[in-house]
Amino acid sequence: MPDRFMEISLQSLIPIPLKDRKLHEQSGIWKKNCLFHQAEWIKIQAPSGTGKTSFQHILYGIRHDYEGAVMYNHQNLKDFDEDALAKLRQEQLSVIFQDLKLFGNLTALENIELKRLLSPGFRTSDSIQEMASLLGIDGILHQPAAICSYGEQQRIAIIRALMQPFDWLIMDEPFSHLDDANIQKAASLIASECKARGAGLIITDLEADNHFNYQRVLYL
Amino acid sequence: MLHTLLSKLIKNSAGKTRFLMALVGMSVAIFLILSAVQLQVNYYQLLHAKDNQDSIANFLVVNKIMTDQNIGSSSLSEEQIKDIQAQPFVESLGNIVPSRFKAAIQSNSDRFPFYTDIAFESVPSEFLDITTKDWTWTEQSNYLPIIVPNQFLDIYNFQFSISQNLPQLTPAVVKMLVFKVTIQTPNGPLSMNGRVVGLSNRISSMLVPQSFMEWANKRFANSQSANASSRVVIRTKDPGNPMLVSYLKEKGLTTDADKTRFSRYRQVVDFVVNISGITGILMLAFALLIFTLFIQLTIASCKDEIALLVLMGSSPKQLKRFLMRRFYPPNIWIALIGLILISVTQFWLFQFLKEKQIFLSPYISAYTVMAAIGILLVIALVNHQSIKKWLRQKK
Repeated sequence: MPDRFMEISLQSLIPIPLKDRKLHEQSGIWKKNCLFHQAEWIKIQAPSGTGKTSFQHILYGIRHDYEGAVMYNHQNLKDFDEDALAKLRQEQLSVIFQDLKLFGNLTALENIELKRLLSPGFRTSDSIQEMASLLGIDGILHQPAAICSYGEQQRIAIIRALMQPFDWLIMDEPFSHLDDANIQKAASLIASECKARGAGLIITDLEADNHFNYQRVLYL
Repeated sequence: MLHTLLSKLIKNSAGKTRFLMALVGMSVAIFLILSAVQLQVNYYQLLHAKDNQDSIANFLVVNKIMTDQNIGSSSLSEEQIKDIQAQPFVESLGNIVPSRFKAAIQSNSDRFPFYTDIAFESVPSEFLDITTKDWTWTEQSNYLPIIVPNQFLDIYNFQFSISQNLPQLTPAVVKMLVFKVTIQTPNGPLSMNGRVVGLSNRISSMLVPQSFMEWANKRFANSQSANASSRVVIRTKDPGNPMLVSYLKEKGLTTDADKTRFSRYRQVVDFVVNISGITGILMLAFALLIFTLFIQLTIASCKDEIALLVLMGSSPKQLKRFLMRRFYPPNIWIALIGLILISVTQFWLFQFLKEKQIFLSPYISAYTVMAAIGILLVIALVNHQSIKKWLRQKK
C-alpha cells in the first residue's frame, strides 16, 4: 500500500511574514528542500519568533500564507479540498497544538471522546480510561476542560491526539507545563503509540531535549 | 454519541420559543397546502363520480319549448339530438324514452288504498343519480323497479297526506311498499308487481329500466315510433356556460331552470382551494425563509466551535449531516401530523356527507400524500442548500 505511509516533502517553504527576515539563512527548513521519511522521528528546535507555530499550522493545512510547497506523498497540500483535508486529519495526521484547542465547555472526557468518535472504530472508550490513569488525569475526566489546570489540559490534548490513526504526529511544545516525571510518562506513551502505528513524529520546541530517540534534529 | 457531543457544542442560539413559533408557522402552512390539495381532489371526485346522489356535475334535461306552433310534434328529431350531442359543452347525452302505452298503479293493501293512471320514462343508467343493484329488469323479474322524483314524495307528505288524512311516508317505507302495476295491452290488462327502488333529485319523472321500456313499447305501443325520445338528458361541466344557454335559446329548447346552485358550489370550492393554497404557499415560503435564518444564525453564533471541529478533522459532510439532523426532523413530524389531521377530517367529512347521499373517499388521496412528500423534499433541499452556503461562508 504505497499511499498508506506518508512522506512529507517541503520545497522552498517560507511563510510570507518571515520572507523578508534574514532568519532563514541559518534555518534547516525555511527555503530549503527537506524530505521527512516515513516513521522518522524529528526534533525541530526553534527559538521564539522563528515561526515554530507557523510551521505546524502550515503542515496541518490551517495557514496558507506561504511560498513554496508542502507535499504529502507527492500531492500538494494546497490542492486538498475540504473533504480530502478532513480525511487527512482523521487518518494520517494527528496534532497537539501549543494552545491545545480544547472545547472549554466540554468535559475532559468529552473532548477526547469527540475525537475518538470522529475516527470511529479505531479506539474503544476503555482506552481513554487507561491512558488517563497512566498520565494521572483519570480524576478530572468529568471536569469541564476550561477549569482544568494547563498541565492537565496538556495531557488531555495528548490523549486526544492518540485517539485516531496517523502516519505523523505533529507536536508544538507538548510538555511545556508538565514536570519531568509526567513528561516521561507522556513521552513514553506517545513513543509506544507511534511505534504501534509505525508512525513518524515531528516535535517543535524551544530547547534541546531527549524526550524521544530522534533520528534527526533540525533548526528552524 | 457524536451527535450528542455536537449538540453540546452547536446550540440553537435563536432561542427555543422562536424556533417553536417558526415550527407553528410551518405547521399551518403545510396543513393549508395539504387541505387545498385534498379539497381539490374531493371536488374533482364529486365532479366526475357516477355514484353521487347529488353530484356536482350537472345533468340537464333538455326538451323543446312548447308553443302553439309545435303542439303535437314535441319530440326531438334524430338530427336535433345529434346536433346537441355534437356541441362542445355536452359531455354525454342520453335519450329519454316515454312509455307509449297506458298504465296504472294500484295499492295491494286495503289499509293504504290508492289508484292512479301513470306514464313512465326511461334513461340510460349512467344518467341516474341512483345506483342500486335492484335497477334491472328482465322478463323473469318478480317486480318492476321504479325510480320516483323526490318532489313526488314531498308533495305527498306535505300536501296530499295531510289533505286526505293518510299516513306520512319516509323514503325507507316507500321503498318497502309493493304495489300493482297494470298495463293496458291490445290483449287486455297485464298486471305485475312494482316497487320504488330509489328517489331521484335529477330527473322529474317516473323512471323504469330501459330494458323494460324497450320490451313494453315494442309489444304494447299504440304508435309507430316505438322507442323515439321525447327529450334528452345531457351531462355538462358547467350549466352556466353562456354557449349552452344561447344554443338552447337559438334552437327553441329549454331546460330545468335552477341549476345555478351547483355553479355557486363550484365558485366556493374554487375560492377556498385558491385561498388556502396561496396562503399555504406564502406561509411555506416565509417559514422556509425563517428556517434558513435560523440555520444562518446558528452557524454564525457557533463559528468558533465549527472552526475547531473542522481542525479536529470533522468533515464538512459530518457537519452538514449533523445540522440537517438538528433542523430537519421537526418538519417530518409536522407533515405527518398534518396528514393525520387531514385524514381525520376527511373521514369525518365522508361520514357527514354520506348521510346526505354524497359519497367521498373515506381516506385521503395519494395526491395529498405526494404533496406532503414534495413539500418535505423542498424543505430538505432549501435546508441543505443554506447549510452548505453558510458553512462555506463561515470559512
